[in-house]
Amino acid sequence: MSSVSESSKPVPAKRKLAAKPHLVQDKVFFGVARAAAVGAVGIVGLILAYLLFMSWETLAKQGFNFIFGSQWTAADPENMIFQIGPMLWGSLLIAFNGVILAVPMAIAAAYFIEFLATSRIAKIATTVVDLLAAIPSIVIGLWGVGVFTPVAAHWAELLNQNLGFLPLFKNEAGSFVGSPFIAGWIVAVMIVPIITSVTREIFSQLDRDVINAATALGASRSSTFMKVILPTSSGGIVGGVLLGLGRALGETVAIFFVLNLSFEINWVDVIEGRGGSIASMIVAFFGAATPEEVKALIAAGLVLFVITLLINWLAAVIVAKAQPWRK
Amino acid sequence: MSEQQTATTSLPRPDQSPWQVRDSRKTRNLVLASVLPAIVSAAIALGMNIDATIAMLLIFVPLQLVSAGFVGYRIFGRKGIADASLVIFTIFFSALVGVLLFSVLFSVITEGAKAISPQFFLQNNVYITSTTSLEYGGVGHAVLGTFIIVGLTTLVTVPLGIALAVYLTETPSKARGAVRTLVQAMSGLPSVVAGLFVYAALISTGFTKYAGWLGSLALIPLMLPTITRVAEEALRLVPVELRNGALALGAPSYRAFFQVTLPAAKSGIITAVLLGIARIIGETAPLLLTVNYANNTVLNPLESMAALPTYIYQNLDSANDTSLQRAWGAALVVLIFVGIIFTAARLATRPKTAKQKVDKNV
Repeated sequence: MSSVSESSKPVPAKRKLAAKPHLVQDKVFFGVARAAAVGAVGIVGLILAYLLFMSWETLAKQGFNFIFGSQWTAADPENMIFQIGPMLWGSLLIAFNGVILAVPMAIAAAYFIEFLATSRIAKIATTVVDLLAAIPSIVIGLWGVGVFTPVAAHWAELLNQNLGFLPLFKNEAGSFVGSPFIAGWIVAVMIVPIITSVTREIFSQLDRDVINAATALGASRSSTFMKVILPTSSGGIVGGVLLGLGRALGETVAIFFVLNLSFEINWVDVIEGRGGSIASMIVAFFGAATPEEVKALIAAGLVLFVITLLINWLAAVIVAKAQPWRK
Repeated sequence: MSEQQTATTSLPRPDQSPWQVRDSRKTRNLVLASVLPAIVSAAIALGMNIDATIAMLLIFVPLQLVSAGFVGYRIFGRKGIADASLVIFTIFFSALVGVLLFSVLFSVITEGAKAISPQFFLQNNVYITSTTSLEYGGVGHAVLGTFIIVGLTTLVTVPLGIALAVYLTETPSKARGAVRTLVQAMSGLPSVVAGLFVYAALISTGFTKYAGWLGSLALIPLMLPTITRVAEEALRLVPVELRNGALALGAPSYRAFFQVTLPAAKSGIITAVLLGIARIIGETAPLLLTVNYANNTVLNPLESMAALPTYIYQNLDSANDTSLQRAWGAALVVLIFVGIIFTAARLATRPKTAKQKVDKNV
């Protein structure tokens, strides 16, 4: 601006300070890292592509009834019908059941650890929650069969006796064992630590100044929780819940042992002893399956994979948005 | 705190000072409010012979809410009622989590201890039927099988996961966000689908029969996200100045990484490996679909092998009292391994004592 003669010179392009690897070793080093990234993308892509390739025949033959119908007959080779409606609905029902039971427990545990407990108790509680996350699902399944099923069946009976007029707690079969209610509890035990650890991390990264400011303005514990803590951390909590939902949908062996698989669709009778789960169905059926049946099971696995992939992708995006410090 | 304050001041304090939260009457009220409901509801439940669950939910919790709300009202006014309910609900649900975990651990330890004996670790499952006495047979073959299968997976996945973490932290690539999201989405891959993939691709096509290495293959996508996430966080914690210092001294990127960044992040990387192992050591469904069972001791990963989770599955499936005992025993063995791994991870992340001593001397 100051002098005309200088401005007539072409302005040099902004210099970019990027070092390109010129050593062979550096090229190898970054090449390996890039190859790993390509490999990880490849693994997911390969699994998805192969499952799609294998299940194409079933999906084309069964059409939309594969998802909505409720018949599974492989006996007649001329007319094999594979439909996973009850299993898909059962998976969703159990997962939602588990999430509904787990969310209050998880948020309460996270709030307890971060805001109520003394630092020593909080440390112990954090270790306990981490340990709960590490217990393998088969051990939870064993506990579910040996210890928890009688207890939960008793709870279900009480619900039925006292709240049986609600359609949710109807039970005409008379048996309370093997119900989606029990499977939901088992799933809840497994996803509580996941939701708790995400929520706890979100709580611990909250700006303490904001909370102190609320207290200074005269807010009580409950109004701080409702008006400050929950609104600022809701995104992260939703992400954690979705992560738990993804885990709940994929849960296999624990549900296999506590649930009574049935191809009759069970809409909302959560305490009746029949339900479905895609993952458990795969384990239950693959051993004695004909080649066509295997393809149908793969198609069922593909449906499950696509659902969990969508949920987890959504959860990852939400959690990443809610945790900008993770950049 | 309050006594100290009254001791150092000569002025008489006003009766109700907002900053003086604790006084003896309030403490007494608090203690009464937290003890009375339990006593009253226990008395009612025992006296009228009401079911424990109903007594807990319909008598104890409401009574506790009312009494806590009353004390909250006495101390803080109207706001105190909401505060008290929040605290009561928090403690109730947290206690529920604690009870569930305690129940799992307690039953595994007490039931498992009945099956544990020296030969339970040393013998395998040959000639063992579901009614054989617990004096014979054990999980020795399954422990070895788990070590081999998990070891093979670890050998492949650890370099891959660390390289992926390097890609996510050290390279300036634009695709990092997408790759990170994809790896996180991979952590939601249902384990049964991973097993089914290997089963469909390699077993049902007739390429090979059930084999241990197929199990390792199926476990890779389950272990990779855990290792990558933890290793990435460990590498991210290394200060940028360290890296830049190494580069400014003329080190090429690979030496800066191997000689500066990696040693600085060593404990985090070890934690990543341990957590990855803990993630897959109890996976059952993929092994069921790819490895199947073996009752004898198999050390060749090209054949069907035994593993602890499938051993539990096998015994739980036959649903006999003795085999259930064996399942509990094997579950205790798995939990012991998980516990060892967790303790090791804790020790790895703890700062070294020698370093602390040096810091203190300075």
